[in-house]
Amino acid sequence: MRELFDFFIRNSKWFVYAFFIVVSCMLLFHSNPYQHYVFLTSANSVTSTVYELSNNVTSYFNLREINEDLNRRNAALEKEVIDLRESLQRFIEKNYADTLVIDPEVDHFDFIVAHVINNSISRPYNYITLDKGSDDGVKAELGVIDQNGVVGIVSVVGRKNARVISLLNPNLRLSCKIKNSDNFGSLVWDGNDPTTALLEELPRHTTYTPGDTIVTSGYSAVFPPGLPVGIILDDGRDHNENFFTLKIRLFADFTALGNVQIVTNNYAEELKAIEQLDNTDNKKTTRQ
Amino acid sequence: MSKTAIILTALFLVLVPAQAVIFNNLVLFNVALPLVFIYLIISLPVTLSTNWSITIGFAAGLAVDIFSDTPGMNALACTTLAFLRKPVYHLYMSYDDDLLGLRPGISTMGWAAYFKYMLTMVFIYCLMVFSIEAFQFFNIKLLLERTIFSTIFTFIIIYAIDSLSFKRS
Repeated sequence: MRELFDFFIRNSKWFVYAFFIVVSCMLLFHSNPYQHYVFLTSANSVTSTVYELSNNVTSYFNLREINEDLNRRNAALEKEVIDLRESLQRFIEKNYADTLVIDPEVDHFDFIVAHVINNSISRPYNYITLDKGSDDGVKAELGVIDQNGVVGIVSVVGRKNARVISLLNPNLRLSCKIKNSDNFGSLVWDGNDPTTALLEELPRHTTYTPGDTIVTSGYSAVFPPGLPVGIILDDGRDHNENFFTLKIRLFADFTALGNVQIVTNNYAEELKAIEQLDNTDNKKTTRQ
Repeated sequence: MSKTAIILTALFLVLVPAQAVIFNNLVLFNVALPLVFIYLIISLPVTLSTNWSITIGFAAGLAVDIFSDTPGMNALACTTLAFLRKPVYHLYMSYDDDLLGLRPGISTMGWAAYFKYMLTMVFIYCLMVFSIEAFQFFNIKLLLERTIFSTIFTFIIIYAIDSLSFKRS
């Protein structure tokens, strides 16, 4: 018995060594990675504390790279947002164009839906910029309306954009009439308030009541007749001899223009040609 | 002896977390991994019984394994290294020196012998660890590269640490 003990003690290092080797190999060849005891993995409290402490320091080292990555990602997302917003805009415009109620009278007028990309209301001469240009069929001297009423007339056309003379521009005079009456006047902005304009040169005998609707007269090729422009606010102050002036509240909200339509007149050329013809005829007759 | 125990405990408490936090992330050229914590085993006093050194080696290896989620790998290699410690030591030193019971170092062993001892230990350890790793995907070229370059890298760092502690004492 004593010899046995002696043997164990003398060779104890071999037994200890074998024991640890067996334990190590059991750990090493443990087949299922999900069945480790939690204290034998880096998820235990001591190791996670050490790692957290070191991470408190090292997490600052990569901030520059992380920031760059985030910026790059941010830019990509922003681009995506813009793309999505554009396609959404397209669908809104399409939907808007489809649901638009068009008077049968204005059949020979077509509409190009455009989006306002720049607009001013505070300057004495205001202009609007649209995101449609000659590539989309926009030409100069086309009328622009929105869902509420008349907005302005296209003045300059680029390939992708067009500039519109806003109704809030004294350069623009719009031939208008009171609805259900044939007396017409000329609408012009007085430069004060973006919600109101003046209807000038109305014949003295015109009958009206405040609240009557003002519509386009249709005397020019720019707008079809009967498009709403505004309502009469109050009595005109400026009584001339034969004409008087009314204050009009404009339907179009120039402070919040979004989608507008450009009115294209299919017969505009023809109309212009006829008018030209008349003029030359007149000249001829006078000469004769 | 108690002073040695304190030094060993301190070394354990410093080297194991340092290995986990710093040296495990110091992989050079994707092949050279410094396994610095084996300095603990290398510097065990010569007279310490093999049983103790095996136990300490196993504990250190297991602790590093727990940190780096490689269960058993370092424990197995460290146990073996601790077991081979005395034979390797006596490759370069005579048995007479054992009586002093000193920790291996330049001052106790002399420059050349200590270098050879340390290099042998580091090489054995790196070879073992990367061979155990190679159980999973065997690639002899990669195994040799990792062993050789890790040995060199580990040796340099351990020598640096050793010269620091040597100067302080």
